[in-house]
Amino acid sequence: MQRILNALLQFKNTVLYLFLLLLSLLFIYNQSPFHGFSLEKYGFYFSSKLFSTSKNISAYFNLKDVNKKLTEENEQLKNFELKENDILLYPEALNQKKRFPFRVVKAHVIKNSFQNQRNFLILDVGEKDGIQPEMGVISANGILGIVHSVSENYANVISILHQDLKVNVRTTSSPAFGSLLWSGQSPTEFHIEDVVSNAKIAIGDTVITGGMSSYFPLGIPLGKITQLKKNEGSGYYAIDLSLFSDPSQVYNAYVIENKDFKELQSLLKKLPQ
Amino acid sequence: MKPSYFISFLLLVLLQVVLFNHLHLFGAINPMLYLLFFVFYRFESDQTLLIAFSFLLGFSVDFLSQTGGAHTIATLTTGFLRPLLIRNAFGITVETPQSFFSDSRILNKVFFLILLVFVHHLLYFILAYFSWESLILILIFSLLLMGVTLSFYPSKK
Repeated sequence: MQRILNALLQFKNTVLYLFLLLLSLLFIYNQSPFHGFSLEKYGFYFSSKLFSTSKNISAYFNLKDVNKKLTEENEQLKNFELKENDILLYPEALNQKKRFPFRVVKAHVIKNSFQNQRNFLILDVGEKDGIQPEMGVISANGILGIVHSVSENYANVISILHQDLKVNVRTTSSPAFGSLLWSGQSPTEFHIEDVVSNAKIAIGDTVITGGMSSYFPLGIPLGKITQLKKNEGSGYYAIDLSLFSDPSQVYNAYVIENKDFKELQSLLKKLPQ
Repeated sequence: MKPSYFISFLLLVLLQVVLFNHLHLFGAINPMLYLLFFVFYRFESDQTLLIAFSFLLGFSVDFLSQTGGAHTIATLTTGFLRPLLIRNAFGITVETPQSFFSDSRILNKVFFLILLVFVHHLLYFILAYFSWESLILILIFSLLLMGVTLSFYPSKK
């Protein structure tokens, strides 16, 4: 207390000046409407600056929430997108009621690799989120792999960068299908096997999922054909393809659940081997 | 506190309000003679009292001539800055006795007057116009009025 008083006494001239200045500012503010208006304008300017700054700061700390909302929104949109992919191929199917057994769950890639010949991913969703083995995993622009095993909170995924994984694909121009498999070098270079050589396909055609594997719905765009060779001896094409997006650089992923998976499997078992 | 300050205070305010505010030199210029108070006020007298006096001085002029409050702020600030102006003009501190520079050169005194009047008038016109667009006008008016005000001051002061 004594120190405060001493400081006040030491700067008594300044304190007195500031006090009287405040008094005269109040006086001028009340006396003259023009000055009052101008002072209000400055006050408004400063308060708006202050508010916009604090708003920016709080917006920065809200980014995590916003991000979460956006990924939730993306999940819903992905559901719609997958459902409507085949309408691009078969426009006459528009407005027809159809059964769409696929459902999308959002996930994040927390471990990824591409240096090995057989790569795996780990996702931050598990049994708790309804993930089961043998579900498809896609990214925003292509497919990532197939769920291999799940724990309570995590899922182990066989990456598409795995030499033994084959995915059913076709092109937008022709319904002839083949199998996509990794060439084992660059993470965007793939081969397509088993496409019959009488199919009408050309370099530059877009490759999409074929919809015959029960893992992925029809029509997810994957990449473009870069090389095409007709192998006369075997009657199949040898096709090279480059993916739209690099599966080794993905954070946001979507797990696709096929509600009819068990039904399809039991049906397949009834076939004579 | 000396009674002579009161007398000069009252005299200057009355002179300013009754006479000099109605001069309208060249149509618009009214010299502000009440600033002489800052010259009369002895250098070694109490600075706190001067601030109170300068506030009252500006306030009375504002009050009696129905101006917004520009006189108050300009005069108050000039009173507050007076020790600084003295140091700049005379090169000494306020604590130095008056007798030290009773024979100081006339140039220092004129310089002190110029500083005092310029600071006051600049503040006054900034507050009177209160917009950055009229800054040139403010400067022109300050300098013009400064010349006129200075010419009214006693030449031997």
